[in-house]
Amino acid sequence: MSWEKELEEKVSREKLSENLGGKDRIKKQHDAGLYTIRERINLLTDKSSFNEVGKLAGHAIYNENNDLIDFKGSNFIFGKAKIDGRNIIVGGDDFTLRGGSADASIKEKHLKCEQMALSLQLPLIRIVEGSGGGGSVKTIETSGRANVPEVEGWNLVVESMGTIPRVALGLGSVAGLGAAHLACSHYSVMVKEKSAVFVAGPPVVEQIGQKLSKNELGGYEIQLKSGAVDDAVDTEEEAFEAAKKFLSYLPNSVYQLSDQIISKDDPKRTSEWLIEAIPKNIQSVYKIRPIIEDLVDKGSFFEMGKGYGKSIVTSFCRLNGWPIALMASDPYSYGGCWTSDTCKKVQKFVDLAETFHLPVIYLVDCPGFQVGLDAEKKGTIKEGVRAMSAIWQTTTPWLSIIIRNCFGVAGAAHKRGSSYISRFAWPSARWGSLPLEGGIEAAYRSDIENANDPKLELQKITTRLNKLRSPLRSAESFLIEEIIDPRHTRRVMCEFADLSAPLRKTGITNRTMRP
Amino acid sequence: MIYSEVSGTISEILVSHDQIVEKETDLIIIECMKMLIPVTTKNRGKIIKIYVKENDIINEGDKLIDMNYDI
Repeated sequence: MSWEKELEEKVSREKLSENLGGKDRIKKQHDAGLYTIRERINLLTDKSSFNEVGKLAGHAIYNENNDLIDFKGSNFIFGKAKIDGRNIIVGGDDFTLRGGSADASIKEKHLKCEQMALSLQLPLIRIVEGSGGGGSVKTIETSGRANVPEVEGWNLVVESMGTIPRVALGLGSVAGLGAAHLACSHYSVMVKEKSAVFVAGPPVVEQIGQKLSKNELGGYEIQLKSGAVDDAVDTEEEAFEAAKKFLSYLPNSVYQLSDQIISKDDPKRTSEWLIEAIPKNIQSVYKIRPIIEDLVDKGSFFEMGKGYGKSIVTSFCRLNGWPIALMASDPYSYGGCWTSDTCKKVQKFVDLAETFHLPVIYLVDCPGFQVGLDAEKKGTIKEGVRAMSAIWQTTTPWLSIIIRNCFGVAGAAHKRGSSYISRFAWPSARWGSLPLEGGIEAAYRSDIENANDPKLELQKITTRLNKLRSPLRSAESFLIEEIIDPRHTRRVMCEFADLSAPLRKTGITNRTMRP
Repeated sequence: MIYSEVSGTISEILVSHDQIVEKETDLIIIECMKMLIPVTTKNRGKIIKIYVKENDIINEGDKLIDMNYDI
């Protein structure tokens, strides 16, 4: 007596499941330059670490004697795996079976995947292609009735946004529910020229008179600029590396803290060139990324959302081996002014840091909110106060270093009201309610207009006021706590990281983040 | 095609038609929010067409310069 026969049948069914949508569909996938879902999981995860759940679930065909003739697995594959030796949950769509749509799906697998990640408090990586288990027009024929729309299990998705890291990789055409899964993540990546993301694809959009290719409708240039997707890379392998890198800074869940790694980079390292990194000409811009790369542990700068809300660089990095959420102004975009998109980006980023207990460092060069008709039409002030509120609601340790401009309401958002933050300024710092350059003409209008030589009068006033704006004069009144030598900034940042580490607290934040 | 990433005023055009420029060359300076922001080419190429002139007011996404990188 033995159960060998039953086990043989199980193994045989599992092998059939590995056939995915069949040779022709797999060839089509490969011909399009795309991997299949099983290949993707193998490339993403540590060798032989994938333990699939529900490999036997699928659609079987039996003969009149109830013997199995054929079996096709469900088009959603998931399980536990390891990346860099660390447990994660991974789930992905099999595009070779009905384009990943609900017709060939078993919805309980999607739910179980979400539930498993949430309950085991492990990061979730979703590989999305197709409609991500959403319906297609043909669903009505297979089910024999129309669905009242419902996204079952979305409560799990919402809960996990405040509990575990969610990464989504869009690796082909992604539409409908698939696009929702991609957008509902802490970090999302697509592949240039291979991925396209949209609520509905070109054939549907053509019905409203827009004849567009996949790329024109939802290619990476569209979706990065819109902020719907965080990053785009050239290959699927790079997308997997990006997912791994992102997760390397985060704990498994909000109930844990990120680890310090051994850093070979001296925390007291100085950088001579930083003394001249900020141009003396206040109209000239400078590149912020080389400054960040120099200040943080070598090779640890990881930027997210580079194509969106560009006035702020949002990134993870390490300082003396500790993971840090670092944001910095980029004067190349609107001089560092906060646009409406920048404000949305800030909201998401500080929520992310707060959720996973990462201390925040902010390198400030913010002349204020963007002004002008465009800014008003985009609701900049509304998004601005939402960003400010997100900052005010943080409790994670916070360090701001004012490296140049800090003006107006947006400038004030470098700290959270009167609660304690660490704060320093470079000698190049300038601050106030309004930059002089934008306000002298208005504030001194009558003096200028009544002067014999208005141009000369403007120049005189400017010179007089410029003398008052030295940060040293603000320091006299203790309006700024300390002005530091830019060359020693790394030491200050590493000390902050060391001091912050024991202050981090685990647990769910009062207000969990939305995607 | 190089598009403007900001709205503002064309302060200076630093290149001319048919000019070959190296990567990282500043092509145009845009005055935006009182700052002078250079528009730079990421790759070496030849200037095919310049869509703007000095003092033009431009919007984010406007065409600035067309370049041929196959030279």
